[in-house]
Amino acid sequence: MIGARLVRVEDERFLRGEGRFVADISLPFMTEAFVLRSPHAHARISRIDIGPALALDGVQAVVTAADLPARLPPIPCRIPTHGNMEPFLQPVLCRDVARYVGEPVAVVVASNRAMAEDGAERIAIDWQPLPAVADAIAGLKPDAPAVHDAGNVASRWGFDLGNVETALSEAAVTVRQTFGIQRHTAMPLETRGLLAVYDGARRMLEVHGPTKVPHTNHALLARMLQVSTAEIRFIEPDVGGSFGARGEFYPEDFLIPWLALRLRKPVRWIEDRLEHFAAINHSRESRFEVTAAADAEGRLTAFDVKLVADLGAYIRTHGDVVPSHAAASFPGPYRVRNYRVAAVAALSNKTPSGTVRAPGMFEANFARERAVDMLADKLGIDPAEIRRRNLIRREEMPWRVGTESVRRPIIFDSGDFSFVFERAVSEFDRTALPRSASGTIRRGRGICALVEPSAFGAFESARVEVDGEGFVHVVTGATSQGQGHETSLAQVAAAVLEVPIDRIRVRHGDTGLIRFGGGTYASRAAVMAGNAVHAAAVAVKAKALRTAAQKLEVAEEDVRLADGRFELAGTPEVNITFAAIARLLAPGNAELLQSPTVANIADNDGLTASCHIRGVPSGTSVFAVHLAEVAVDVETGQVAVERYLVAADVGRAINPRIVEGQLIGGVVQGLGGTLLEEIVYDAEGQLQTGTFADYLLPSVHDAPAITAMVIEHALSPSNPLGVKGVGEVGTSGAAAAIGNAVARALGVPAAINALPLTPERVIAATCAGPVP
Amino acid sequence: MKLFSVTLVVNGRAVTLRVEARQSLADALRGELGLTGTHLGCEHGVCGACTVLLDGEPVRGCLLLAVQTEGTEVTTIEGISPPAGLNELQESFRRHHALQCGYCTPGMVLSLHALLARDPTADEEAIREAISGNLCRCTGYLPILQAALHVAQSNRLKRADTSSTQSSA
Repeated sequence: MIGARLVRVEDERFLRGEGRFVADISLPFMTEAFVLRSPHAHARISRIDIGPALALDGVQAVVTAADLPARLPPIPCRIPTHGNMEPFLQPVLCRDVARYVGEPVAVVVASNRAMAEDGAERIAIDWQPLPAVADAIAGLKPDAPAVHDAGNVASRWGFDLGNVETALSEAAVTVRQTFGIQRHTAMPLETRGLLAVYDGARRMLEVHGPTKVPHTNHALLARMLQVSTAEIRFIEPDVGGSFGARGEFYPEDFLIPWLALRLRKPVRWIEDRLEHFAAINHSRESRFEVTAAADAEGRLTAFDVKLVADLGAYIRTHGDVVPSHAAASFPGPYRVRNYRVAAVAALSNKTPSGTVRAPGMFEANFARERAVDMLADKLGIDPAEIRRRNLIRREEMPWRVGTESVRRPIIFDSGDFSFVFERAVSEFDRTALPRSASGTIRRGRGICALVEPSAFGAFESARVEVDGEGFVHVVTGATSQGQGHETSLAQVAAAVLEVPIDRIRVRHGDTGLIRFGGGTYASRAAVMAGNAVHAAAVAVKAKALRTAAQKLEVAEEDVRLADGRFELAGTPEVNITFAAIARLLAPGNAELLQSPTVANIADNDGLTASCHIRGVPSGTSVFAVHLAEVAVDVETGQVAVERYLVAADVGRAINPRIVEGQLIGGVVQGLGGTLLEEIVYDAEGQLQTGTFADYLLPSVHDAPAITAMVIEHALSPSNPLGVKGVGEVGTSGAAAAIGNAVARALGVPAAINALPLTPERVIAATCAGPVP
Repeated sequence: MKLFSVTLVVNGRAVTLRVEARQSLADALRGELGLTGTHLGCEHGVCGACTVLLDGEPVRGCLLLAVQTEGTEVTTIEGISPPAGLNELQESFRRHHALQCGYCTPGMVLSLHALLARDPTADEEAIREAISGNLCRCTGYLPILQAALHVAQSNRLKRADTSSTQSSA
């Protein structure tokens, strides 16, 4: 069952329109909330008058910061950082000063959404605009306005490995280039939403809508509300995409449950798209100043990097992890021991940021791979050849980069990079179509090699249970935002227990069903939840085997699992089914465990097992190669990606069809970040891109022919299944491969240095000068 | 707020809605009729998640007001789904892994359903054009194209079968 290209068990409900997303759930007497947000990038609130809003028919409550519980803390950062983030954390409602367009100021609750919006229009606020920092790099200047009293820098850190100075002075060639990566974000097609309902008599708060890390956020909400975790249940509905951004603890994740508790009515909040643009984590905005060096044979000898990341107005749950990953993993798949980086996590009056698919890696891969191509050009070496000469060798695994991120060392656990590299390059060559420049069209090919560290996070949990009808229940602490975990995890359980997939039910994202959970991020679900389910299923099988032997009155070693039942080896007519074993192990069943006469005894606990897997701190590492062929129209500046190949060594694919889907979908998302997507602010910090007409997502016309090569070669030594996390690999190398292809098509290596590669930038590049 | 009566046919059944003038068709379908398969992704007519068929043609449920639909025939994803299981196009989506999160899926299926009703053997260009107004953030579109092409191809084979049967008769 592992390795089978099964169709997904989730699909039928979605195809019939029977998915149950949070906005599809409603409850009797439900109210709806609207969040009033700051229209200013930086402004002081001198007065708020909510009276006219409260007077409006249908409005049931209006709350501002003044109504919040005393001593309510700001939303904490949930992962280790490179500095003290306390002064920069976001309060759930701004009290005196708003620091970005979209910062929540008040919440209106009314009988329906339209009434709540009508109410919000009647809230009168006296704003005193303050000078804004629209660009974090400008904000680093001494005379810049201060985003916070504590300044505009959240953290500074770095690494200095080997001897960079010596390597640079001894290099045959060096290149120095600044690369800019634009602010863009995940943009799932479903906006965020929550529905909270409080049963005051039973002291039970149910929250529908959490995803990604519900157990983490469940514990945090309990702490912020100062109630027991037993009084809150989080339930993940179907979720229309996350890509890292959705499911973090945002201001609304406190406000909506708190309002339900306060009003004792169900409160639903469904974000609209404009809100989403202003409110959800942004990502990726950064500048890399790269100096790269090589010897005369094309051996890379040093990387020297200065990194500034613009994290926006507050530090949220992700802290400075995005630039942290970029700084820690910049050297990529190459044997470079001289590496220096100085990183700054800076603040600006823009929406705060967090992780998005391949956080920090999309950016770092673009900067490094462009620099490597520039070195190749200087040396007159083919771009594939220079990479070939520098890949980390199989016998050098595990490879310690020498850096760390989130207090975990960066270690590549396994890999045969050359093997994957040659397969990818030869496949792309083999399938090449004869095409050349014609008219205003220039063509070029770009390559990117990368390592995607994945499957981070401390632990994951799973419970596997067989019921008296022979159905298998799998409960996991991981969550699903569309990846297909209900199928993948069922395949893992089915492989161990040898039951058909349609007898397995996978449940996830529900704090009422499983006590502990890690969640889904960092491409971890297949690795962490997959192995937790595997271990729990193995334990269930062992327990069933012991019970079968006892019931059949034979030795355990003579019992085997075949066709979904346990039978005596050589005598298949002597057998017992999973269902019958489950019934035998049900508490109260007297057959194998006689009731005592005097004192109670411990009873059977069913045919079930729970498993908690502690992860390897450095996770799993996927080596991947991206190859792109582009056609650039030098007259219009239009870039068309004509052909694309992504090859990844995934260790082991639980479901190759799902893995291919992750790779292909990831590439197109990365293509969006390379050519189209940009969140634009003006000089005053006003958001300019609030609709899909301004912020372009890839459409079907942008999707190139993509070959996804799922290679199962270097199993991860970290887990019994040997799987590696693959969800982010497709996105991670897209800007690097496409950027290199465009630079080669135009023959202007230094000019392709800022994303996205808009027609304006491409035309400017053809005129042979970089544009800002 | 003043309510208006609107009578239309939804998924083959006559219904009368009582709606506010400002209520969109998508909100009315979801809120008044419980047809939650129609999804809202942007509410300004770009993403196509709310696509429904109005007298057989794909329209944006978010851009049309419910009061504009008097006397029309509206078909949603629920209306083209068989009582159980999947229709041919839906099954092809499943076979080709043409969906991940499922949020854009009903709109995609309806856009392609309308195309294939009009042009059962549509080619790739026509298919791309038909879903050019439907955004998908998960799949990268290629599996969706393959799913639709598969149905068009099977329609072509069916047509060839029919014509060869006719000519031999």
